[in-house]
Amino acid sequence: MTPKLRRTAVALGVAVALAVTGCSGSDSTTSASAGANGLEKTTIKVGAIPIPDSVSVYIAINKGYFKQEGLTVEPVVIQGGAAAMPQLMSGALDVTLQNYVSGLVAFSKGQKIKLVAEASQGAPNTFNIMVPKDSPIKTVADLKNKTVAVNTFNNIGTLAVETQLKVAGLTKDDIKYKEVPFPEMGNALTNGVADAGWMVEPFITSTQTNQGFRKLADTMTGQTENFPISGWSVTEEWAKKHPKTLAAFQRAVAKALKDVSTDRKELEKALPTYTKIDAKTASVITPLTYPTELTANRLQKVADLLLEYKYIASAIDVKSIIVPAPPAG
Amino acid sequence: MTGARVLRGVAGAAGLVAVGELLIRFVMSDDVIFPAPSTILYEAALLLVDTEFLTGLGTTLTNWALGLLIAIGIAVPLGVLLGALPPVERAIRPVLEFMRPIPSVAIIPLAILLIPVDGLMKVSVIVYACMWPILINTLYGMHDVDPQAKESLRSFGFGPLAVLVRVSLPSAAPFVATGVRIAAGIALILAVSAELIAGGTAGVGVFVLQAGSGNRMDLMMAATFWAGMFGVFANLALLAGERRLFHWHRMRTGAQQS
Repeated sequence: MTPKLRRTAVALGVAVALAVTGCSGSDSTTSASAGANGLEKTTIKVGAIPIPDSVSVYIAINKGYFKQEGLTVEPVVIQGGAAAMPQLMSGALDVTLQNYVSGLVAFSKGQKIKLVAEASQGAPNTFNIMVPKDSPIKTVADLKNKTVAVNTFNNIGTLAVETQLKVAGLTKDDIKYKEVPFPEMGNALTNGVADAGWMVEPFITSTQTNQGFRKLADTMTGQTENFPISGWSVTEEWAKKHPKTLAAFQRAVAKALKDVSTDRKELEKALPTYTKIDAKTASVITPLTYPTELTANRLQKVADLLLEYKYIASAIDVKSIIVPAPPAG
Repeated sequence: MTGARVLRGVAGAAGLVAVGELLIRFVMSDDVIFPAPSTILYEAALLLVDTEFLTGLGTTLTNWALGLLIAIGIAVPLGVLLGALPPVERAIRPVLEFMRPIPSVAIIPLAILLIPVDGLMKVSVIVYACMWPILINTLYGMHDVDPQAKESLRSFGFGPLAVLVRVSLPSAAPFVATGVRIAAGIALILAVSAELIAGGTAGVGVFVLQAGSGNRMDLMMAATFWAGMFGVFANLALLAGERRLFHWHRMRTGAQQS
């Protein structure tokens, strides 16, 4: 019953697609098992972290943008981009959220991945170094010989902190890092486990309002101004095998990114549907920026910074890792 | 007797909650944010009508039950077989002793890489972790069989299979049950840990991940509370089952009425 229904829907979808776009698509009409628009795969699993970075995929789901492309997206909660990498490699996930630092470092080590769409970009006060209210630390230079809490070593957090240390005339050798998960950072700093912490939203807002924390530095300034943070990634093989599915995914995500970049309400509406951030908190946290297009120009900045701070051994031309979005339409 | 015991247990738990409440509200610095037990219990009660959480709980418990059952299906026959064939057991024993102490949580990343189907991966790590206590206990049970009972049966002309079915298996059964009860707790740990590491579409661990990223420590603790409660219930149910089925065993070994 359902397969039959699906086949009808598929046929209808193909017919509509052909009529609308007027494309010749010889392969899309011949294969009966292919989905609407000739997609190689119509149901994909997308790994997303329940944080504001992932919002584009959830907006695209909630507003039916994937459906319009004939694509069913099953969101899978992941713990982090690095943790999801084996799942991407094994095929348990088709697409996953990835912060660009993780992605480029993995790529430089030979992981065959491709970045296919933008997810988020840093905005002022979205990634701050915070200190407890009574902290004697007043400037970044005061961090010398102090301990800074980050959520993960050798990643976006440490890189962002190091760009600020450089401005203050310090390097990472002048401080110590301590790995502390974001939810525990507020208490860890209060208890003196670390002297300062690199935080994201909603933790910046909550430690400020509930524990009186101060902002020591905004790490999205200077070298990291408008810093690309995260994007959607696939394996090279997956991209090669599913070009149409990929293009459909890219189109839908771009639409969602456009919505959220023009209207903050979209973010506030979507957050409670996939995170435990309630509507009230969603309305007060500082939003990230959501550029609609993943461009080599902006991403190259990340790769260059990674080389400068020795996170990667040799330069990466980011054109080799990006799969450009299909022309709009 | 049992009523008094339950009462004492409840009093102990209530006392702990009360002490925790007082410590968090009055002793702990205001700058340290941690949900008080009353907040956690309130949120935990609300979770009972949260369909998302209940779906997750269902997924986790299904993995738990499936993993435990498959582990029983593998480990018990294997234990009986090894127990009945001492030379084979001596050959395999070093391998068992090597693999047994490896923390099962450590194999989750390997399982993620090797098994691309999420549900199968989670059940597999549960099976792996649960096999050891069941297998080892079954082996002990097989060793513990009264040799005189076996000899008697043999001298009456019963074959090896009949001796196994009539003497060895019933005699080893209480040990197997203990192994299963220990494994049930381990299965719960693995079911939630696998979700915490690998994520997923639903599960108690997935819920905790979401709550953590959203800075909802109260929800994290509330979900953890139910995981713990389920562990308590499972243990009690299995213990009651053991008492009922193997009443004679406790009489024989002279175990304390605990």
